[in-house]
Amino acid sequence: MINRRGVLRSATAAIAAAAFAVSGFAGQALAQDKQPITFALLQDFTGVYTFVSNEYNQGQQDYIKMVNATGGVKGHPIELIVRDTGNEPQRGIEAYNRAVEEGAVLVDFLSTPVSRAMVPRVLEDEVVMITALHGRGDASDGQTFPYVFPMMATYWSQASVLAKYIEEHMGGLEGKKIAHVFIDSPFGREPLPILRELAERKGFEVKAFPYPSPGNEQSATWSDVRRWGPDHVTIWGAGGGQPVSIRTAIRNGISPKDILSVVWLARTDMRQVGFEAAKGVKRFAATATGRDTPVIQKIMETVIEKGNGTGDMENVGNVYYNIGVATMAASVQAAEHAIENYGAPVTGPKLKKGFEDIENFNAQGLMPPITITEKDHQGGGYGRVSMWTGDGWEPQTDWITAYQDIVWEEIEENAKQFEQGN
Amino acid sequence: MFYRLAGVYHTTYAGERKLWPVPADRWQALGVLALGLLAPLLVGDLYLSSYLLPWLVWTAAALSLTLLMGVAGQLHFGFAAVMAIGAYTAIHLTRFGVPFEIALLGAGLMAAAIGSLFGAAALRVKGLYLVMATLAMQYLVDWTIINVPAISGGAQATLQAPEVSFLGAPMTNDTVQYYGALLWAAFLTVFIMNIKRSAFGRALVAVRDKDFAAAVIGVNVFRYKLLAFFTSSFLGGVSGAVLAFCYYEAVTPEQFSFDVSIQFVAMVLVGGLGSVIGAYLGAAFVLLLPIVLTNLVAGLADSGLLTISQNLQSHIPLMAYGALIIAFLLFEPLGLAKIYDNLRNYFRVWPFQHTRN
Repeated sequence: MINRRGVLRSATAAIAAAAFAVSGFAGQALAQDKQPITFALLQDFTGVYTFVSNEYNQGQQDYIKMVNATGGVKGHPIELIVRDTGNEPQRGIEAYNRAVEEGAVLVDFLSTPVSRAMVPRVLEDEVVMITALHGRGDASDGQTFPYVFPMMATYWSQASVLAKYIEEHMGGLEGKKIAHVFIDSPFGREPLPILRELAERKGFEVKAFPYPSPGNEQSATWSDVRRWGPDHVTIWGAGGGQPVSIRTAIRNGISPKDILSVVWLARTDMRQVGFEAAKGVKRFAATATGRDTPVIQKIMETVIEKGNGTGDMENVGNVYYNIGVATMAASVQAAEHAIENYGAPVTGPKLKKGFEDIENFNAQGLMPPITITEKDHQGGGYGRVSMWTGDGWEPQTDWITAYQDIVWEEIEENAKQFEQGN
Repeated sequence: MFYRLAGVYHTTYAGERKLWPVPADRWQALGVLALGLLAPLLVGDLYLSSYLLPWLVWTAAALSLTLLMGVAGQLHFGFAAVMAIGAYTAIHLTRFGVPFEIALLGAGLMAAAIGSLFGAAALRVKGLYLVMATLAMQYLVDWTIINVPAISGGAQATLQAPEVSFLGAPMTNDTVQYYGALLWAAFLTVFIMNIKRSAFGRALVAVRDKDFAAAVIGVNVFRYKLLAFFTSSFLGGVSGAVLAFCYYEAVTPEQFSFDVSIQFVAMVLVGGLGSVIGAYLGAAFVLLLPIVLTNLVAGLADSGLLTISQNLQSHIPLMAYGALIIAFLLFEPLGLAKIYDNLRNYFRVWPFQHTRN
């Protein structure tokens, strides 16, 4: 009996010692690493955004790996929560609630339906939501939407940049006929007010040509377009509908040179049209394409070449990959400002202020210089027009911004409607 | 052993016609209701607002649809559109200052009116042709919402649910919203169970099984088909309003898209056509299982047990989900409700299986 009790006692002592040692080590480990900052990328990997989300998310993850490999944000590592929402609002809500419970201070849904559903929630919970190239355009109004950051050119700004390009590089706007061909959804209609207002000011004609969702059959629409005989065409779709638009336009005798597209047009789409056939198509570009910029070079060096890349190496430098990198570059910059100016730990309200401290940030040439203020969450609405040359995208202009007065009229009008419950 | 029938004597007709004549079933139902009532105390915010609440709302919708598809046998592939009509009507009415309680009725009536209009097609066509007619409804309603800014709420196509109160309780916090959904689901549960044992329900079943046979025995097929569409659409419209006010707090057209209609049909089929408990199980399967599977796979990947690409990681839950649907259909084509019934029968005689005939 005594013997057994002795064994028991020594066993207890051993366990206690082990526990002590473990907790001691854990304590040390915690002291070395600063508290992580959690970003939640709750995106649509299986629904309708699959055309962009894989590359986009790969860029985001690679950039964060690069940041973590080079010392984190002022010593704080960034933790990512990546989940699929399937573009379903109710799954987005679940993923969001879970992420917030796990301490996320920033969410990115990359899905307009989900982001729209989440706007009231993030405003209430004081969690930053970035809505680069998706979501509500009027969220650029930082006073009405304090926690929502479009941070890149909204669809309104994209339309105004394309119009500016026509004005300056394609022989002016006056007297022209511009057809706006779009997927029949709120997203497709979004630029129409801007184009109509511009048409009135600059004296050109705009006509709307919707095609039914999902857009894999557009012949009827394009024969209407041909009959109208426009000088230029803006195409507003995403994913599978885009190459169909260009192909059907060419078949209807519209020169690819006269086609200007929303940001959603990538190499894969051009492959479907035919690299040669699509020569001359122009597109709004929100970031630089390719691997030449220092940021992408650094990712190559510290992440990809060490075999830690998130996905297919071929995607590195593609349009959507670079957009993903740019969103995270701006977010990390905001987190840095938050720690520097308001101190760790980073919370939603501090991160929001960090975003609003971003001034002339261009991620070393990857993106246009953005300046975010308390009022302007769009960052200026910069972008450029690039042209498909047969094997790549060639920038046609510098980073430009255009007619922001009209864009802001639209933003403020919509923001006012949001306050009234729309 | 459980669900024992021995010793249960029905001495009155009313006693025999009770909703739950077997005491064990009654206690079980009361137990589930008690759990539902205590849920805000028992589970955390995350599970209350992201799992239980949507589950109840989707169940209510599935119950409304199962009345039409399961009991009356009329296929409907545009049920999300019915709910959209209810949701938009309720929001517009409350924005005009109509009290929420009346707005709910208005939502139901509007959905019922438009739903019966398309349901009228059922008077002439059956089966797959009826599916086409209801699909047309889905697309027409979608199109109208998107293209009429006065309905959808302008360029952003979002309408926020105004802050309202239901019978004096403000519908703004999670707990009140949960109880609102619970109340509606509980009401529908009892309502559908009662319909199934009423003359109306039996007439619907007769129409489902063979409409001209029903006509021969004196059921007015014209009337009952329309009534089925009217009732089901009414309940669907109110469920849509409950969805908008208790859960989403804002409506957008995508929340009521064609995919959502298919999900409702799947809930009813997987759960078991015409079954009340099947609606609960089907809604859980279609709504919650993908979320649970996604979190499970993501958890495995985060802990390093599964090193796969993000793309594959997102698609594994889909594969598992598909495999489960096939497995359920193979092993029990009558749905989850039948699996529950089998279990119940098993436990009824356990441990004396030999007594089962």
